[in-house]
Amino acid sequence: MKAKEFNIKWGMVIDLDKCTGCGACMTACQVENNIAPMVDASNKLRTLSWMLVYELSNKKAAPDAEIAYLPRPCMQCGNPACVPVCPVVATDKNEEGGIVSQIYPRCIGCRYCMAACPYHARYFNWEDPVFPKGMEKALSPNTSARPRGVVEKCNFCHTRLMKAKDKARQEGGNPEALADGAYMPACVEVCPTGAITFGDLKNPEHKVHELAKNENAFRLLEKLGLAPQVYYMSKREWVRKLGDNYAATGKAGAAKKHS
Amino acid sequence: MGLDRRGFVKFVVGGVAGTLFTPVIWQGLDDASIWSQNWGWIPRVPKGEVKTKSALSKLCPSGCAVKVKVIEGKPFAAVGNAANPMSKGGVCPICAGGAQLLYSPARVKSPMKKVGEGKFEAIKWEDAEALLVEKLTPLKGQEGKIAAISGDETGSANEVLSALLSGLGNAGGFAVMPGEMYTATRGVKLMGGNGQPGFDIEGADLVLMIGADALDSWGTSVANLKAFAASHPTGGAATAQYIYAGPTLNNTASVCDKWLAVPPTATATFSLALAHALIEAGAVSSAADFAEYKALAAKAAAGFEAATGLKAEALKELAAKIKAAKAPLVVAGASFGQGAGALDFVAAASLNVLLGRVGQKGGMTVLGAAPKAIASAADRENAKDAASLLAQVATGKAAPAALLIYEANPAYALPQAAEMAKAMGNIAFKVSFSTYMDETAALADLILPAPHPYERYDDAMNPYGVAKATYLAGKPVLKQPVLDVKDPVDVLLAAAGKLGLSLGFETYADVIKAKAKALGADFDALAAGGIWNGEPKGGALSLGAGALAKAAPAAADEKAVALAPVTRLAYGSATLATPPANLLNVRDTELKGKDLFVQLNAATAKKLGVAEGNKVKLSAGGAEVKALVHVNEGVAANTAAILLGFGRSAWDEFTKGKGDNVYKILTVSDEAGTGLKVWAGSTVTVAKV
Ligand code: SF4
Ligand code: SF4
Repeated sequence: MKAKEFNIKWGMVIDLDKCTGCGACMTACQVENNIAPMVDASNKLRTLSWMLVYELSNKKAAPDAEIAYLPRPCMQCGNPACVPVCPVVATDKNEEGGIVSQIYPRCIGCRYCMAACPYHARYFNWEDPVFPKGMEKALSPNTSARPRGVVEKCNFCHTRLMKAKDKARQEGGNPEALADGAYMPACVEVCPTGAITFGDLKNPEHKVHELAKNENAFRLLEKLGLAPQVYYMSKREWVRKLGDNYAATGKAGAAKKHS
Repeated sequence: MGLDRRGFVKFVVGGVAGTLFTPVIWQGLDDASIWSQNWGWIPRVPKGEVKTKSALSKLCPSGCAVKVKVIEGKPFAAVGNAANPMSKGGVCPICAGGAQLLYSPARVKSPMKKVGEGKFEAIKWEDAEALLVEKLTPLKGQEGKIAAISGDETGSANEVLSALLSGLGNAGGFAVMPGEMYTATRGVKLMGGNGQPGFDIEGADLVLMIGADALDSWGTSVANLKAFAASHPTGGAATAQYIYAGPTLNNTASVCDKWLAVPPTATATFSLALAHALIEAGAVSSAADFAEYKALAAKAAAGFEAATGLKAEALKELAAKIKAAKAPLVVAGASFGQGAGALDFVAAASLNVLLGRVGQKGGMTVLGAAPKAIASAADRENAKDAASLLAQVATGKAAPAALLIYEANPAYALPQAAEMAKAMGNIAFKVSFSTYMDETAALADLILPAPHPYERYDDAMNPYGVAKATYLAGKPVLKQPVLDVKDPVDVLLAAAGKLGLSLGFETYADVIKAKAKALGADFDALAAGGIWNGEPKGGALSLGAGALAKAAPAAADEKAVALAPVTRLAYGSATLATPPANLLNVRDTELKGKDLFVQLNAATAKKLGVAEGNKVKLSAGGAEVKALVHVNEGVAANTAAILLGFGRSAWDEFTKGKGDNVYKILTVSDEAGTGLKVWAGSTVTVAKV
């Protein structure tokens, strides 16, 4: 399989050694994307968490136990498993920047994409969104509310990209060459430790360009060949091992070619 | 039967299988799905220009300086304010969802008067304020008849409350909810100093946090996180080491270079044993009590392995790292931010004295007293603690007839909570100034709804942990509150006037502006996200050996395990139940449906004869908490860790009845030598049910 290529590739490098698992990114994501709170949020089969912070463990007994937190947005795969299975082209990777779209009005809710995505980044609306009375007054202008019956997922806060491009146009800049930091998703904006670095992986002026090539950088389930646009990094070997599941080279966290 | 969405799916999938590759059908499906999703009840999102406004968001204990995003005049999101030198653009997981909390279903919507057990009636503000004055009038001048409990550690509202009480002849009636500031300030006194301690995390190259969950729920956590982030550049080499010694592998420990699993009953032992290891490695101090301290440290070292379950080797390694560091800092605190008593603090803080780190860059500081806006207000550290006050009420030693409760939830968030709530029943007239319908408001005779941070003026003097004197202030984001609320301080100032007492101000805004002026700060600059800072101070401190010598060793109880209540900032605080949006963050190994999990490491579970998924009860002091067992290696030996902040009986459908209230089984004891109430070293028995 050959990953789809674009001139711009929006991506993240998430430093797992800096993520404390505080959850600010999850909260900001819900706020930005108008995800209604659920009364029983402990039923993780029903909740919608475009950004989800996983807890990883080195599986050692106390006091040698270690944990790490791993924030998981949609990887915006270069080779998305979700796209070819969609019978109605409700999801596609066809836009400069490489963000995998999700068009709610087209989605018929068959959930093939959910089954196909190995990162569990897709969620199904089992119910219509219900906001506590009055809370609909605090909806964000950036994302339309979705009805029951459709699948949704992280889109790197796509409206922010549109707005950043508009702003560049207004200011006489080049919307196809945004400065580092001119566009960033909500999770990146709020993270108190700056664990998530965001930018164009192909642009040498963006920090992510170099960071993704760091010796401690890796991608989740590299061996599946989905070519995610989200990279992780950790100095802890056990974290790298867990994350890439002994990737292609057989060596944990080994440097991989980066296009 | 209409064709609902799922029916539609079945129909489509059944009907068009095999023809999916015909573009015509695609088009047809597309249109049909657009049609099918034209539901009228899906909320519409606002349109228009987004503006941002600065605010001081005191939803979390230390307060975040935020930029609130507003559309069509309505706040919808909050991010950090990059112009604020303390939080440097960071925001905590509570304040990030601040806009949604404006519309929290738990908000008190109007003044309410109790009309029967658990029954309230909405009343008008003028009637509510008249009732307040009517009830206080006969008590004026009668000492001991009026008391107040404040749950706000940093606001000038405390000055108003305290001045009001002394003006009404009840100077001794002002009490505060437990927090680190209170005990640590007393700890500093025991070390011969005066003031609130501070910790220059930013300037240190080795940060040892003993108990203090400084990268999540303790102190000015966003500022601490920024300091951590600065010393850990992404893709580069770290310039500081962070080490956590505490009962659980919590959010702080997860990013530390090392976690030392120390049960909450062994905090002081750990600190003193470390002192011994440092002294062995050559550390000396010119403090007068060094010889006595050295002997205490040697004694603690002898009991270290038994008390902590750790190997002495771990201490040696740690001592070596500290010796090698240029600017080591020990941050002292309770793992859940309260109840630790002064001696745990002294034992940990004394390490800074031993290492010569007091008043140094990257060291421990002592903040002087801040100027007051109201001269007759008592100093913050002279307040009573709310647990002692209510314990006295329970036994009849204190008999206030009126209790003013400001932004506090003593019926829920004090140790032995059930008894505390019962003691409140002995007080005839209780007024709760609260934004939310919490457990205390539910017991009050009068509830006066307080504004959300975006609807009010507020300030924060020296949020606990800051290394130098710090002042923040904010003004309302909204022109009009979204509900029928009034600022509690405005209400109190008006009531004072009617009681014939002038405090010199008519509104809280005026008090805050006067405070800013007293500091020489510009209120408008502060309200825009600015900050006022004083100079960091040191001061000669002793090692506190005199006080430490009086510490009674914890009595070993073979059957009991140490209780480690776990706080996670995202899940709320003593004054805030988990916000609806943050429930998603709670893991299903912490809370599942209505059941809380108690976390035990495998060895402890085995010792207790329990296994994963077992239903157990944790008992102490005549109260119990039910939970399911989750085996988790991130818990110290002989320790049961369980989330604090659940088991709500008021609030809203998002939190009510979920889990159990762990405050119930925190047992209070008197700390030897200080007379403080302590409960951080509580133990519980665990039994299958
Ligand atoms: S992470 Fe999943 S949903 Fe996102 S692009 Fe990849 S396969 Fe699709
Ligand atoms: S906001 Fe940052 S530190 Fe907090 S959980 Fe998300 S990525 Fe981790």
